[in-house]
Amino acid sequence: MTLQLLLNGVAMGCIYALVALGFVILYNATGIINFAQGEIVATGAYLCLFAMSGLGFSLLPALGAAILMMLVVAAGLFVLAYYPLRDRSVLVGVVGTIGVGIALKNLLHLVAGPLPHPLPSLFGTGQVDFAGAAMSVQSLGIIGITLLMFALYFVYTHFTSVGIRMRAAAQDREMARMVGIPVSRTMCLTFVASGLIATLAGFLAAPVVFISPDMGLPLMLKGFIAIVIGGFGSIPGAIVGGIFVGVLDSVVATYLSSAYRDVFTFLVLISVIVLRPTGFFGERVGQRI
Amino acid sequence: MKARYAWAAIGVIAVSLPLLTSGYVLYVCNLAMIFAVIAVGLNLLVGYGGQVSVGHAAFFGIGAYTSALLCVDRGWSFWAALPAAALVSGLAGFLLGLPALRLRGHYLILVTLGFGEIVRVILQNWQAFTKGPTGIGGIPPVSLGNFAFVSEGRFFYLALAFLVVAIAVAHRIAHSRSGRELMSVRDNEVAAELVGVDTTRVKLFAFTLSAVFAGVAGSLYAHMSGFISPDMFTFEVSVAALVMVMLGGPGTVFGPVAGALVLTALPEMLREFKELYLFFYGIGILLLAVFLPRGLAGLIPRGARR
Repeated sequence: MTLQLLLNGVAMGCIYALVALGFVILYNATGIINFAQGEIVATGAYLCLFAMSGLGFSLLPALGAAILMMLVVAAGLFVLAYYPLRDRSVLVGVVGTIGVGIALKNLLHLVAGPLPHPLPSLFGTGQVDFAGAAMSVQSLGIIGITLLMFALYFVYTHFTSVGIRMRAAAQDREMARMVGIPVSRTMCLTFVASGLIATLAGFLAAPVVFISPDMGLPLMLKGFIAIVIGGFGSIPGAIVGGIFVGVLDSVVATYLSSAYRDVFTFLVLISVIVLRPTGFFGERVGQRI
Repeated sequence: MKARYAWAAIGVIAVSLPLLTSGYVLYVCNLAMIFAVIAVGLNLLVGYGGQVSVGHAAFFGIGAYTSALLCVDRGWSFWAALPAAALVSGLAGFLLGLPALRLRGHYLILVTLGFGEIVRVILQNWQAFTKGPTGIGGIPPVSLGNFAFVSEGRFFYLALAFLVVAIAVAHRIAHSRSGRELMSVRDNEVAAELVGVDTTRVKLFAFTLSAVFAGVAGSLYAHMSGFISPDMFTFEVSVAALVMVMLGGPGTVFGPVAGALVLTALPEMLREFKELYLFFYGIGILLLAVFLPRGLAGLIPRGARR
């Protein structure tokens, strides 16, 4: 396997890992399996696009503007959809969030049209030589930003008071309420954080997969697989699982069959669920969020 | 007594519908009845058994492709291909049920989701067998002796007959020992096991049976439209089937039929506003889940329910 192939797989896997991270923190805080995660990522990508071509920002300020807009969008979504769906049966949660996803996707379709849009990459299209292989700067950039994001998230949830409250509310809601944490507001904050991570995922994915209303579903499916492989509910599991899926994808597509790539990844998903449902890192309640 | 008159009236209207309308309206009715067969079967699994599947379009597709390939490539008649379609999709349901037995909640959902995607990708890419994205055309219409169910009006009665049988079977099962066992698994699996319910057998039974219903619907669909392609059997269709069950009322016999009628007719009527319709469809699904998790049946006062 060439180094180049591995690198691209890892980079794609990092995007899946960010999709998975946004999903996992929401799941841990509210118990909702968010089938709209892909569409929230797509919404984030469209917000970046709008900030660039609509508001005339350049790339990096556009990301900042998109994140600000996502704050409002995510808070609205939480109040209108996710707060009422928390702690409901699996069927209700799944059907409800699928509804959110369908609504978001078609809203994007109505507002921006069906055509795919490109978004320039923050890192250009250059390449650097490393150990005799030509590595794309974009892939290295995606990997770097993702690792930075996971590190920031770790620091935020372990060393800031708000972050520690978020973890407390996710671990034991009743106990958190008793020690005076405003649980609902904290939950909202967690959802907004999940939305911001999704925006970043959309921003990084856009130069690779194009922005379109349909970009969400495949990203979400890969995110799901990453979560299961890593261990449902585990944050380190999200990044390990994401990278595993990304590398598996690119290896299968190159050496076996690009048409049946998704069959392999889904077979891995089913095998992991059946044979080792705890994934790499298990579903340990104590380590949520 | 009143309920009996109501059912008689519904029956008369249903039977005489082909005399009152024609063409497109009947086509939509036929499509709705085919989806109703899927929804009635899925309801056994989801509504009575509490096992959520987001991959039932796969069984619908397996039934449709089995029937179409046997008729087009091997020259079988519909009446021979139909049991084969039911058998193959039932077998697929059984096989999916095996790993799904140990799973609950989100894991089960992801397995059914993965299964649905695997089947779709195979239908899309196995050119030599499924003819890939171009699909299969020239599927012969259903015929009985010299009588062919070619027009919408004729097919209407065929689909109605299948739907009535499907409802009757589901009704029988729901009110049998198996039905009560299924509900006990849904309400509390541990308790069900403690009182001696063979939860493994019951869940496998529900998976297999709901797959058979979807396979039969697939076979009917293939012979109604004469053409099938992979984009008829997507995640969206699996979701639609699930929403039909939710809308009508999970765990009721007639709810899924009502759900199928509404959710087939609405998008057809609002075809020109497709994205706008789908936007409101999404919001409607959310509102349904939040405010009416027991579906339209939840609106009917308890005393009047059957």
